[in-house]
Amino acid sequence: MSGLAQLLKADGASLEADDDFEAINRLYLERGWGDGLPIVPPTEKRVGQMLAYCDRPWSEPIAKIPPCWGEATPLRLAANAVMAGCRPEYFPLLMLAIEAMCEERFNLYGIQATTHLCAPLAIVNGPVAQELGINSGHNAFGPGTHANATIGRAIRLALVNIGGAIPQKGDMATFGSPAKYSYLVAENEAASPWEPLHVERGFPAEASTVTVVGAECPHNVNDHESLTATGILTTFAGTMLNAGTNDTCYEAQPVAVFGPEHAKTVAHGGYTKADARRFLQEHAQLPLGKFSHENIERRLRVKLKERYATAGLDALVPMVQRAEDIIIVVIGGAGKHSAFIPTFGATQAVTRALTRRDGGFAHSVEEFRRG
Amino acid sequence: MTQMHKRGLVAAVICSDPFRTLGKTQSRVFGVPDLPLVMIPHPLGGLSIEQVEGRALAAIPQVLELIRAHLQ
Repeated sequence: MSGLAQLLKADGASLEADDDFEAINRLYLERGWGDGLPIVPPTEKRVGQMLAYCDRPWSEPIAKIPPCWGEATPLRLAANAVMAGCRPEYFPLLMLAIEAMCEERFNLYGIQATTHLCAPLAIVNGPVAQELGINSGHNAFGPGTHANATIGRAIRLALVNIGGAIPQKGDMATFGSPAKYSYLVAENEAASPWEPLHVERGFPAEASTVTVVGAECPHNVNDHESLTATGILTTFAGTMLNAGTNDTCYEAQPVAVFGPEHAKTVAHGGYTKADARRFLQEHAQLPLGKFSHENIERRLRVKLKERYATAGLDALVPMVQRAEDIIIVVIGGAGKHSAFIPTFGATQAVTRALTRRDGGFAHSVEEFRRG
Repeated sequence: MTQMHKRGLVAAVICSDPFRTLGKTQSRVFGVPDLPLVMIPHPLGGLSIEQVEGRALAAIPQVLELIRAHLQ
């Protein structure tokens, strides 16, 4: 008997069902296992194929997922990856993303259980993005690419099935968001005039990483007219203005997604990423008087009392506290668009790299599999 | 709260109605399924001072009952 067969004999580790796609899907829906969409039945054979890309003991938790603190073992994660439709070679990225979002500073408990609509956004950098065919170009946040759709979905299924983020029980989102089905992209490094995100965060270019952000959906920045860096950045900063954002009262790390054409214009104007961040932070500020009277008196004057306890209505409130906290990435295809992604606020982005058993960076998933 | 309850102190979680299931689930997850929930009406945000006092008035009898039960 294989190691997997042995593990599946444990109490509750598996169930017997007729080999009938519709019946199995009815069963999963009845038990509340999933996201409402049809799943691929996680048979022993399929789960075994997924686990071929796992370098850890299959039954030892790599993390515990809140709010129910379910043990994320490779075995359970593999079952969810199969359900989501992942190819086996995607599995290392799923494990990496789950490990990253279970770091304490990410505050996955808050992100899972809050009434806010946030979802973990996973941004993939490095050679693995291309190896797995993760879309970083046209419609990268949208449908149509197998890797983006299924790895992102596997993350959600793990958060629900292992973590217990079941709507109205463990996930109290007032109305949630479409990003809760799947929210994974790669940075378009080839089209970026700047260093990629993972290099900025201290990893070598040849490393492959996942960065997770507790994020809202992307909000579009349309600018077909500006010909200069300051023009594009002024429009971007104007789009960031938001009296209803969580980020104002936290040291938040929102994401500024530049479309390649906007990024090129900004970089051509001599702006580094640090310059662009500084511009956005300085210009994305709302006068206190643009907030409601109650928000001024009960929230801003209380939570940020050092600055606003006695401030006049013309005092400026930055949408992001510190310029260096703005995460800049280049994503997308042709078109004069960018996007701004606010966050849950009480969360810090986490980046993790794919490594071999010897601790070195894995340059590909195949290298990772070989160890 | 979990630790206080496990040490035998009077402890409870104040919870509004839509969060009852989450509260019960969490108390089970943390190994204290009998941790009391003090239930108050929803919502909690955007309340006037008078409404906050109303929530407190809903909670007080439940807290007193927990203390009475503990002393018996």
